[in-house]
Parts: sequence; C-alpha cells; structure tokens
Amino acid sequence: MNQTEKTIGIGELNHGRFKTLPFSHDFCITCGLCSSSCPASGIDGFDPRMLVRMVGLGLEDDVVNARWPWICTMCGKCEYVCPMDIRIPDLVRSIRGLREKAKIPGILQKGLEAALKTGNNLALPKEDFIYIVEDVAGEIAEEPGFEGFKVPIDKKGANLLSTIHNKLVNTHTEDLKYWWKIFHAAKEDWTITSENWEGTSWGLFTGDDEAVKVMAGRIMEQMKRLEIKNLLWPE
Amino acid sequence: MDSSNVLVIGGGIAGLTTAHELSKLGVKVELVEKEPFLGGHAIQFTCKAIESCAKCGACMAEEKLNNVIHNENIKILTGANLNRISKNDRFHYNIQLNPDDKNQSKCTGYSSSADAVIMATGFEPFDPVKKPYGYRVFKNVITNLDLERMLKTNGIALKPSDGMPPSKIAFIQCVGSRDSKLNHLWCSKICCASALRMAHVIKSRKPETSVTFFYIDIQGSGKDFEALYQKAKEDFQMIRAIPGDIYKTEDDWLKINYFDNLSKASIEEVYDMVVLSVAMIPGSKTKELAEILGIIPCDTGFVGSCKNNGIAGSGGVFVAGTAGGPLSIAESITHAVKTAWDVAKYLKTRGR
Repeated sequence: MNQTEKTIGIGELNHGRFKTLPFSHDFCITCGLCSSSCPASGIDGFDPRMLVRMVGLGLEDDVVNARWPWICTMCGKCEYVCPMDIRIPDLVRSIRGLREKAKIPGILQKGLEAALKTGNNLALPKEDFIYIVEDVAGEIAEEPGFEGFKVPIDKKGANLLSTIHNKLVNTHTEDLKYWWKIFHAAKEDWTITSENWEGTSWGLFTGDDEAVKVMAGRIMEQMKRLEIKNLLWPE
Repeated sequence: MDSSNVLVIGGGIAGLTTAHELSKLGVKVELVEKEPFLGGHAIQFTCKAIESCAKCGACMAEEKLNNVIHNENIKILTGANLNRISKNDRFHYNIQLNPDDKNQSKCTGYSSSADAVIMATGFEPFDPVKKPYGYRVFKNVITNLDLERMLKTNGIALKPSDGMPPSKIAFIQCVGSRDSKLNHLWCSKICCASALRMAHVIKSRKPETSVTFFYIDIQGSGKDFEALYQKAKEDFQMIRAIPGDIYKTEDDWLKINYFDNLSKASIEEVYDMVVLSVAMIPGSKTKELAEILGIIPCDTGFVGSCKNNGIAGSGGVFVAGTAGGPLSIAESITHAVKTAWDVAKYLKTRGR
C-alpha cells in the first residue's frame, strides 16, 4: 500500500469500520503537520496524515496489515501539533490491537505471552529470580557505606513497592543497584515481590488492552496482599 | 435626518465607509478610533497590481480616508477610547482622548450622544509566537501583514536581518486559522489570495526570487482567482503540507521540515525568509464592548450574525466589517455600505 498508487473500489470504503475508535479522526483537515513533525515519517514511506485518512475512509485491511503502525514510536509529537486535536498515537495503538496475534512483529507478542503465563517476559522461575536479586544485593553490601545491605522481598506493610523491568534481572543488573542504593540512602521502607514483579507491559505496544489490564491487576493484587499503599512503577 | 447622530466605533475601512455613506445622507457621525491614525489594517496593505489592477482593494482605503477627512458631517476622534456608553432611548457615551498620553494634565473627557452605534472594531492578527516557527526569535520570519507593510513601503521584500532582498521565500498558510486547539475553526479567507498576489508582486520585481507555498488547500473565489492559481502553480513550488518546525542554520538561513507527498519522504529545505499567513481573530476588546452594547458574540468571538445572537440592528446597535468575521477589503466595504443603509432605515423608523 505504501509506494504505488492503487485504485480502490468504492465498496472497500466502509466509514463504519472504525466508528468504535474514540478518536476524532473524521475531523482531519489534512494539513500534514503530523507528517511534517513526525520523527519516523518517510521510513518505508510512513505518512501519518495518510494513515489517519485511511482510517477515516475505513480501509481496515490495509491499515491493519500495513507496517506503518509498527514504525510509529508513539512519541506523541503528531498529537501535540495537530490543530484538530486528533489522538494519533492512540489511533495507532488501536490499529495494532486489531492485528492477528500471530502476525504481531518482533518479540512483542512472545514476551507478552510469557508474561501472561509466568508473570514475567523472560519466563524466569521464582528461584532464579531470587538468586539473581540476592546476588546483586550481595554485591552492593560489599561496597563501602552499604555494609549489611539486603534486598527486602515480599515485605508486608512496606511503604513502597517497586516493580522491576525484566532486563534489570537479565542483562542490566547494574541498573538495579542505582535504584536500590537511592532507597537505602533515603532510608526508604521498600520492597519487591518474589512473583509478578514484571514492570513492563507489552500489551501497551501491541494494543492489547486485556493484557494491560491483567498485568496491572497483578501489581494491584501484590499491593493488597502486602498491604502497601505506594507504588513505584519505573517503566 | 439632520438631527440624528451616529457613533461609529473604529476607523478602519468599514468604519470609514459607514461614516462616509451616512454623511452623504446628511447624518451627523462621530467616529472614534483608538489608534492615532485612521485606515486600520487596510491602509497598511500594499497594491498588488502587476500588469493590471488585481482588485485587492488596498487603494480604496486611501480613497475612503479622503472621503471622511474635511467632511462637515463627520467628527473624527483619533487616539480616543470609548470610556462609557449607556442607553436611555438614545446612547450616551464618554470618550477619553489620548488615553496613553501620561503627560496629559487637562481633562480630556468628551461626552456626547447618538441614536445608533456601529461597531466597526475590526479584527486582530493572530500572534504566531505561539507556533513553532520562531516568530520574534528569528528576524527573517515575518507575518503576511509585516510583508504587506514592507511591500507598501519599499516595493520589494527585504530581509529584516540585513535589509537585502531574499532569494528564497517560503509562505506558510493557515497559521492560527482552522485550528481546533485555539478554538479558531474558521478560514480567514483573505490569506490565500493576498499571499499569492504578494508572491507574484515580489517575483515580478525580482524574477530570480524562488517562492515556495506550504498550504492545506488554496481557498479563493472570484472570476480572476483561477488564473491567479494557475500562474502560481507555474511560478511557485506548491507543497500541500504545513511544516512542523523552523530551525536556524549556522549561516542564518531558516530550515524547514515537511513531508513530501510525491516522493513520500521527509524533506529538509532552507529558505532565507519565511512569511506566516496569520489568522484574522476577534479583537481583544470585542467581547467586552459587545457586552456593553448588548450584543452576544458568536462562538468564534466575532460579532457577525450567527444562530445565537441575532443582532442585526436590534436596539440601534449595528456591526460593520471584520468585527463580524473575516472579510476582504472589498467585502468589508460592501458590508459597511449595507450596514449604513440598515442604520439609515433604523433612523427613519425612529422618525429622525
């Protein structure tokens, strides 16, 4: 759809198709400010204005199968400059949500499915997770000023629950230390959980509202279980 | 109608026209203008003729001005603000002269009365400082009204940075018009034709000048417009996109980003002057004055006829020109003549 012009039969246009989307794409005056401002426009011919128009015309198959919605970085500049207040990033996300799950590009769906099944994108078992975080805590304890440092896991009644981005217990364990050292220095009463600690929610990127709800719900459950009022969700 | 008086608020093209038309009928007019000069925006506009008259109406402002000065039926008060106005069968008002002159020691108030009031308070240009185009940051980013004055004064475009003619100009249309976030849903009507005509004037006097137009769609009407548009497509680069940001390059050029429909690519291009065609918006005091006069402004903030106000002369208050919404000079004059006739009819019904 992106490079060559094609003839569209009038029957392919169905203005009712995207009626359920809560965005005022019908108000688009085709000024092109979105496309002029977008940092990703031009990549594979990506043209946000054209995408909004295709949604307005009801070309569902074309937009859902297109690569364009997945090129968007969801930075939101288009929405910021749009004189008609069209919520283009939300529109893009909704289009992504209409894609058949098996056809979602990259590792997004694989990671999301692992998270829904095991509690985290890596499918990291509980024992392995505890081993890793205690190992990192041990390294901190060896540093001057942090003698006796321990990572509080599942601490009931703590002031603050912190979620963890899966890459921090995978390839970026050093980054865990920054957070924890700040908590320690601030004398924060904090904790992490042994299960469902995942801070990422890739349903946000795949347009899967149900998955986002499940992931957020699990964090809520942990807060209730441990009677914690404050949440730090650094993702 | 010799005994009747009409107060005209605003000395732009519409105010001058209504004053002159009424004076011809023997009506005594008082015309109040807050600025120290008459003619409003229109008198600052440039003639857009190249080989023949473009019928832009700019010259008519001067003609109308000549009609009102030294006119025994018209009393002109410039640098004057309407202080108070109230209605008790007739309108009674107080005018303050030179309100900005701090050195005034004498009493400068002036009281009078009128049978009808004409609101000819005009428009204000949208201030594009709110848009990401660097107006008042980059010297060579100007508005269409700045360009009007520049062409009227110098005959050619000159870069404010160094006083030299620009070699590559970009016009950006609809700056502040058709913008839901600003609550400016209207098209300002005049900017497509006037910007295209100014670009033609520039190019006719300096043919080596390159001109690019960034637009949403070209809005024009009238039998001459199609020819103007066709010529524009031959002479200018016409790009159907509004640019996102303007940046200054190291050598003081202006870099514009836009998405090109034809090549389906994001393009970066530099210009040495950028002209922003800014919206016509209601004057900042329009609402306040309308309320005092008992007029309900439209949702746009203009006081033209719309479904919720129904002003048209009710109670002796009338509107002329762009106070009612965007109009060209010619349209303003036509509207003002019509208003003058409505006022005359109103005066007659009152037996004046």
